[in-house]
Amino acid sequence: MKKHTLTRRDFLKQAAAITAASALPPQLLALHGNKLLAAQAEEVAPGVPRNQCLILENPSGTVLPADDFNRWRSGYSGVWVCGLQQLALDALWYIDPDAGVDGVWDNALAAEPPIYNDDFTQMTVKLREGLYWSDGVEFSGDDLYFTVDLLKNTPGMGNQGLFERSVDHMEQPDRYTVVFYLKAPNSRFHAAFTVRWGALYIMPKHIWEQVEDPVAYTFNPPVSLGAYTLRDFDPNGQWYLWERREDWQRTSLARLGEVSVKYAMYIDPGPSDKRVLSQLAHELDVIHDITPEGRITLARESPTSVGWFPSFPWAHPDPTLPAVIYNNEKPGLDKREVRWALTLAIDIAQVALASYRGAATISAIHVPPTGMYPQFYHQPLEPWLNDFTIKVGGEDYKPYDPAAAQRIADLARPSLGDLVPTDPDIIRQYIGAGWWKYDLQAAEQLMLDAGMQKVDGKWALPDGSPFTVPLMSMNPESNPTMNRAAAMIVENWTAFGIDTSLDSQANPWPIMSAGEYTANLAWTIETWGGHPDLFFFLQYWHSRLYVPSGENAAGSNSMRWRNPELDRIIEAIEQISFDDPQGVELGLEFCRLAAQEMPITPLMAYNVFTTMDTTYFEGYPSIDDPYTDPVPNWGNTKYMFVKIKPKEA
Amino acid sequence: MGMALMRKFIFRYLIPRIIQYLTIIFVGITVTFIIPRLAPTDPVEAQVSTMVAMGSSLDPESIEAMRTALTDLYGLSGSPVEQYFTFWGRLFRGDLGPSLDNFPTPVSSMIGQALPYTLRLLIPAVIISFIFGNVFGAMSSYYPENKALKVIEVLGQVVRSIPYYIVAIVLLVVFAYFIPIFPFSGAYPLGTRPDWSSPEFILKTIEHAVLPAATLILIGFGGWFVGMKSLTSNIISEDYVVYAETAGLRKNTILTQYIMRTAILPQLTALAMVIGTVFSGALIMEVVFGYPGIGGLAIRAIYSNDYSMIMGITIYSIIGVATAVFVMDLLYPLFDPRVRYQ
Amino acid sequence: MISIVRDLLKYDGRFRLAVIFLGGVAAMILLSYNSPYDPGKSFVVPWDLPPSQQYIFGTTSRGQDLFWWLTFAVRNSLFLGVLTAIISRVIAILVGLTAGYRGGWLDRVLMSLNDTFVVLPLLPILILLGFLLRERMSLFYLAVILGLFGWPFDARLIRSQVLSLKERSFTRTAIYSGSSGFWITIHEHLPFVLPIVFATTINNILWSIGMEVTLSILGLSDLTTPTLGTALFWANQHGALVAGIWWWIAAPALVTIVLFLGLYLFFTSINEFIDPRTRLRLIGG
Repeated sequence: MKKHTLTRRDFLKQAAAITAASALPPQLLALHGNKLLAAQAEEVAPGVPRNQCLILENPSGTVLPADDFNRWRSGYSGVWVCGLQQLALDALWYIDPDAGVDGVWDNALAAEPPIYNDDFTQMTVKLREGLYWSDGVEFSGDDLYFTVDLLKNTPGMGNQGLFERSVDHMEQPDRYTVVFYLKAPNSRFHAAFTVRWGALYIMPKHIWEQVEDPVAYTFNPPVSLGAYTLRDFDPNGQWYLWERREDWQRTSLARLGEVSVKYAMYIDPGPSDKRVLSQLAHELDVIHDITPEGRITLARESPTSVGWFPSFPWAHPDPTLPAVIYNNEKPGLDKREVRWALTLAIDIAQVALASYRGAATISAIHVPPTGMYPQFYHQPLEPWLNDFTIKVGGEDYKPYDPAAAQRIADLARPSLGDLVPTDPDIIRQYIGAGWWKYDLQAAEQLMLDAGMQKVDGKWALPDGSPFTVPLMSMNPESNPTMNRAAAMIVENWTAFGIDTSLDSQANPWPIMSAGEYTANLAWTIETWGGHPDLFFFLQYWHSRLYVPSGENAAGSNSMRWRNPELDRIIEAIEQISFDDPQGVELGLEFCRLAAQEMPITPLMAYNVFTTMDTTYFEGYPSIDDPYTDPVPNWGNTKYMFVKIKPKEA
Repeated sequence: MGMALMRKFIFRYLIPRIIQYLTIIFVGITVTFIIPRLAPTDPVEAQVSTMVAMGSSLDPESIEAMRTALTDLYGLSGSPVEQYFTFWGRLFRGDLGPSLDNFPTPVSSMIGQALPYTLRLLIPAVIISFIFGNVFGAMSSYYPENKALKVIEVLGQVVRSIPYYIVAIVLLVVFAYFIPIFPFSGAYPLGTRPDWSSPEFILKTIEHAVLPAATLILIGFGGWFVGMKSLTSNIISEDYVVYAETAGLRKNTILTQYIMRTAILPQLTALAMVIGTVFSGALIMEVVFGYPGIGGLAIRAIYSNDYSMIMGITIYSIIGVATAVFVMDLLYPLFDPRVRYQ
Repeated sequence: MISIVRDLLKYDGRFRLAVIFLGGVAAMILLSYNSPYDPGKSFVVPWDLPPSQQYIFGTTSRGQDLFWWLTFAVRNSLFLGVLTAIISRVIAILVGLTAGYRGGWLDRVLMSLNDTFVVLPLLPILILLGFLLRERMSLFYLAVILGLFGWPFDARLIRSQVLSLKERSFTRTAIYSGSSGFWITIHEHLPFVLPIVFATTINNILWSIGMEVTLSILGLSDLTTPTLGTALFWANQHGALVAGIWWWIAAPALVTIVLFLGLYLFFTSINEFIDPRTRLRLIGG
């Protein structure tokens, strides 16, 4: 189909055309940046002026039931992220996915980091003094002790299994100290108490000790330990209005600065297009996520909208690694050569264009290219990747393509023009470094090496039976990029002769966990972001936790990968403490092993087009001031509230 | 009605229809019990894996413990047959069980909250489009040469052929964004709590319902129009219409008393059945307009494999539609004296 | 036959319009067999170009020529609609006529079955079936499922029409003159039922195409097959509305309107022609 490939001239023509095309309707949209009827009043709610109220998207949408604030029950509810875990609850420690206000690690309710004994069977927690619940009761070790004790002894509560199995008993040597005596050595016990998106939040003992049935209790109104309390909410779950506490200085956040935003409202803003229109009308200050095209429209038409990067690719890269996940137990996919062949049959540049219009941050290795990780892993591994070889047809073959990100930038430039950076260092920072070659010849040879055969132009298993690889993709309402990437990979694989199809699912997670898939575009690798420790996902990947397809996986090893070398690395990580410098060494070993075995094909960071409007407020986090992650459902976004300031008081 | 006739009505007409009515509900509910259970995943896993995917750090054993706990809590530990009988037992007590996605909130309370919003919107919208569609449809076959009616006919068909989604989004963008005369989202303003005793609030909800209702009315109109037109096209040349015209009756009288009255029957049956479209029609509209109704509830339940919610909504719908059709069946002879109770 | 068409073309403006519209759709369908582009391929033309002489419907954000892509979409959607309509028409006519004419226990059994199908909420069931079938949910399966669900409305309509017809004089006359039930059903009732069948056929095609659109917008159909629904799905996935790529939404809408209006005008025109009473008015003036 040579006649249809794009020439440079076409690209130039297109650059002109898209400017002309997009100059029409979006500009009309922008011209009409008038107020929407719903908010023509200057007040968001009775007594709540618009310029004092930060309006944020709750990406879980409408929360039902709206009045159930029990964050500790098993299972997930949209109420967690209606402001509850961001503004009202607090935890012992926070790890920032980015740089942090005052370093990546924050001792929030705790006065200092966890103190383990030598064999990791005791963890001592020292708490801050002078912190108060919103009803005036002082926070103390009693609350921590009570929370863990209640969860441990109440089936149906989250983390019940963890505490039941790992906590032998607790002691309270004084009012602000709790010591956990563990049943077995555990160097990562504090992870359960450390917020990275969410974690164990502490309950007010004086409220919960009166509750007879903690599983059924709705904790309404929630008593807050954060800087805000609930002022009002919608019984239909479409909005939650939070008000700054009079005594916000008596919360853990006050150490880091002044909390200046008086009100915050988390709303269900509807589908992506409506979110864009709402921000154009300045009625939605923080968008969680939108389509890349919606983001481009805001970049062009809404001068007050800002993102993580000042320009292309705008989005905040979450410390999450979308990947093509192979079910390592399916015939064909159980062979390393086949998984490698499928990897080399993917054109990452086309995938980046189709999914993010090029605004992707790619990664060749099995950790997300976000936060501090490029310094920890990607840059140190670059020389190794350049020399890395796999066997193709018995010969050494170098699969790494160091110029992949450059290629994406070049392809994106014609449609986005000056928005795309040209400086190679900036491209490296924004789009990533290299990826694996798009080499169908090598892929073909690898298939033949694995004994696969081509029947009527389609690949078949060595015994001649069909080799079908339907690709499941995640297609939540909030963001289409993963589904778009999957559709492109289906196209790439079809061109390579793979019998494949797109199986798009709004909620693929239970299917993944049950192993009822062949290949799948989602993620099984998430990290702390700011901290190099890989135990966050590797804890599930040891072969002792392996569960075959058909049964639910124990955590994220939904690809069913088993490897003795992997076991050795995980065991070594378990032996060392969280901050041991050896951790990075072991992490690098993991990356090299995963590159050789290719149990899943890493693609890119999960880029979230969080977009913030500076009409009423300023001081949002960005790559230039990366004090936290702006993605508004993260518990860590509480740190935004000491940095964001209203423009007019 | 004499005694004998009454008895004949009860035994020959009413009782068989009641049996039929109950059978329909029984079969319908059984089918909806089975289908969600055929889905490849279970609701417990949907909850657990969502938490893992959301980035909660849970160690592997506590995930397993959570699975066991949720399975027990949800009452899913027994065999499907046991669950089926438990389910009927509960249903007879009027208990639809707890929502699995929003444990332990009862399904009935969540439906009870959402349903009024959908009904308040859907019922007026369906009735308005029914009246307009039928009146114009009948007029169009009675006055076949009328130019204005021809234009209305074509416009009605054009709008009807456009997918719901586009009609909704176009109305939204035009009348809530470019020309912001109607609200952009929801059933009432953000920051306002529903207060059905306040006339001001009720006015607000009406204002919020205009565009969603307009979507349903515009699309529904064409269907009623065509239905009525095809039904009346036979009647306009019937003898009694011709006699009436010869006898010099007024045209309006002929149209309403002679033509529409006869043709309205099948349309009324269709009206009863339209209640079932609560799902398909309202679902997309509710997503576009951010309306807090039953459609949104249904789609969430399906994504999270919330069996009890899916079944709850389905049961409401089945009973609603079956009852409407049943009542219409009983009323049928009242509208058409030519059909006797048989 | 030819003379009928000639008469219709001569006397009925709607028929002429229908021929133009359906001719356009037919031309698109024929062109799809000769498309220069594989609809499954992306980035074959510059993306985001508005309609022009070269790309009459513009190009998509996925680098596809929208006109050629829609030739496949309209072909697939029409295939779905027609297959659904055929399956459900056959069932509806059989059930409606039998129940209406025979009455008694058979009527009650058929109507119970009919009403059970009416009360089952289709969309949740379709979505659940979509989950079950997953990537196997092809257009063909969808048509069969819709066909199996799409008849009860019309069966009931046909039955009630037959019920009123039965009470009329000519049915009685036919019975007194010794005609068999089957003969009466076919010769006396079917002509009166056919207008309803025709009217409901386009309804059914439209309903089926619309159902596919709804499922596609929710992401639950076979998304890699071009249809009028998946056109909107992909336009949505690329934020076409706010990105200003309005033609990606307008073109499938336009094609849908032309297809549907063509069918509608065609069937109403034919319907009136079949009916001897209205035919007189049509050509006799």
